[in-house]
Amino acid sequence: MEAADLSHHTSRRFNEDLERVRTKVSAMGGFVEEQLSRALTALVDGDSALGQSVATQDYKVNGMEVSIDEECSRILATRAPAAGDLRMIVATIKAITDLERIGDECEKIALIASRLATEERPADHYREVKHIGRAAQGMVRDALNAFARLDADLAVRTARSDRIVDEEYESIQRQCITFMMEDPRMIRRALDIMWVVRSLERIGDHAKNVCEYVIYMVHGKDVRHRSLERVEQELKSHNARD
Amino acid sequence: MSLPSWWGPLVRALVLAGAALLAGLLVGHPALTVALVLAAMLARQQYMLERVRQWLRRDRVDLAPDAGGAWGDVIGLIGRLFRRKQYHKRRMLQLLRELRSSTAAIADGVVMLNPAAEILWFNRAAARLLHLRGRTDIGLRVDNLVRRPEFVHYLRSGEYATPVVVQASGLSDQYLHFQIVPYGAGQLLLLVRDVTQQARLEEMRKDFVANASHELRSPLTVISGYLETLSQDESIDAGLRGPIDAMRRQALRMTAIVHDLLELSRLEAEEGTPTGEPVDVGGLLARLRSDLLARLGSSREVQILVESSDRLLGVEAQLHSAFGNLLENAAKYTLADGTITMRWWRDEQGGHVAVADTGIGIATAHIPRLTERFYRVDPGRSRASGGSGLGLAIVKHVLQRHSARLQIESEEGKGSTFSCHFPLTRLVAVG
Repeated sequence: MEAADLSHHTSRRFNEDLERVRTKVSAMGGFVEEQLSRALTALVDGDSALGQSVATQDYKVNGMEVSIDEECSRILATRAPAAGDLRMIVATIKAITDLERIGDECEKIALIASRLATEERPADHYREVKHIGRAAQGMVRDALNAFARLDADLAVRTARSDRIVDEEYESIQRQCITFMMEDPRMIRRALDIMWVVRSLERIGDHAKNVCEYVIYMVHGKDVRHRSLERVEQELKSHNARD
Repeated sequence: MSLPSWWGPLVRALVLAGAALLAGLLVGHPALTVALVLAAMLARQQYMLERVRQWLRRDRVDLAPDAGGAWGDVIGLIGRLFRRKQYHKRRMLQLLRELRSSTAAIADGVVMLNPAAEILWFNRAAARLLHLRGRTDIGLRVDNLVRRPEFVHYLRSGEYATPVVVQASGLSDQYLHFQIVPYGAGQLLLLVRDVTQQARLEEMRKDFVANASHELRSPLTVISGYLETLSQDESIDAGLRGPIDAMRRQALRMTAIVHDLLELSRLEAEEGTPTGEPVDVGGLLARLRSDLLARLGSSREVQILVESSDRLLGVEAQLHSAFGNLLENAAKYTLADGTITMRWWRDEQGGHVAVADTGIGIATAHIPRLTERFYRVDPGRSRASGGSGLGLAIVKHVLQRHSARLQIESEEGKGSTFSCHFPLTRLVAVG
């Protein structure tokens, strides 16, 4: 099991370094989750101050990315990790890029939220947006959990649920088009909503990427650009052989 | 008097040896007979020792070999020791099991952490509240799984005195209350409680107070307006003058209460601690003093001691209301010939504002409860003086939001001192 690999090192310092990176990624992930949930709250509650505060906090996510990146480079240079450890470092470097992008999308949502706050609220109180928002939040949460637990099964399940977010996105898109055709005055707001939903869909994609890195980290298989059904099958037979 | 217990076997051995010697003398081979008898005795001892050893090896107390005499005693004693130990072990195990199952059944989440914040054990409620999973999560750092920044900050701060309440996630309305209790050698006990219900009630209470006070304000303005006009109307019957005046005073008091309630709910609604602007405390105190003197008709002696030119980082309107309330109280409970002193100074702990009076003072028993809403030391007197009963609650809230703390010292008959202690981080030196 790979988890055992991570905890059985001759060099205790090395182990601590790896553990520290993992904890930092979790802290960054936690902050990004918070940003996402605050951005969505700002939108749904029409709280422009909250939206502004989310947008001004994005620099923290960037700072975290740089700091973790440096730490990973340092480990690569000084410890020359191999096998599972190397995969963990590589996966981390990739995962934080996606987390940073999620942070950027949150900033976009927050800015639109604070602009929409001054306008009249829609009658359905963003029911659809809330729905896709919850789905995207769930994906980010599960991706980070899978990363923390080195849980490839959860990663596969989460990556699959990206389809739900995509479908949700399509349906809201159609709905917005209908609104715009019915009432041209709605176009501006519908476009703003489209941007929010688009950001949420992108967040789902980034979360899916993180899941793929988890699978790579645990099984040493690169599963990008491949159908998840096949990946799952392969992993099953792989486990059976073990 | 009885002989020591080991005398018995010794006497028996001697008697046997004596008998053997006698028999040997009779037969004519004393040495051989004695040797044979002793050898037989030794063989028996060896045999018993071997049996006891076999018995102990089997680890079954119920298969104890039968034996009399000293060996019987030894076997009996060993058996007793063994049974007693087993009894204790069973009791400990049972106790442990009960303890575990009761902790597991507690409605609050319990997570045991080692000094590195890695999970050692958690109960069912914790699994449900924090979405932890059976075996896989044991040994993982808890902040890798519970990632809310407020919680992570609380966990790493090492300051566990004040628990944190964290909203589980933005769009769900779940609120979790986290408390960490250190125990043993650096281990931590993490207690998690679902406080969604309380948070919702608290939210409703705040909303209600804010809305009710807001709605009461307009009718009150109308009532006090008319009463004001009526009290100045010359044509009104002299007998109605008293009642109208009383009504006007009470309406003014109600207005003050509504004003303070609104102020309090505004303070509660704002989150976090504001950075604010640098405030000139000396100037603020001077303005408060002249306002007060203008209102009371300069009969009081109010001194101001400004011993620092440092500015205080904060929201001026809130600080104005906090210090104003302290001064108001001091004036209310100080006789006309008393003195009120306001002082602003700094030391290595931070900045301090103190309002001291030579008034009637407060009994020690009341001091801890003074900042509660509507708490009255002497109901008769404070109502007569027209206070809202919310002044010190406002002071407490303002100070909390400025990371400051209120200290109250008082002696009955001598006077009181209310001190506000601000941390160094809130001070800005003026160059």
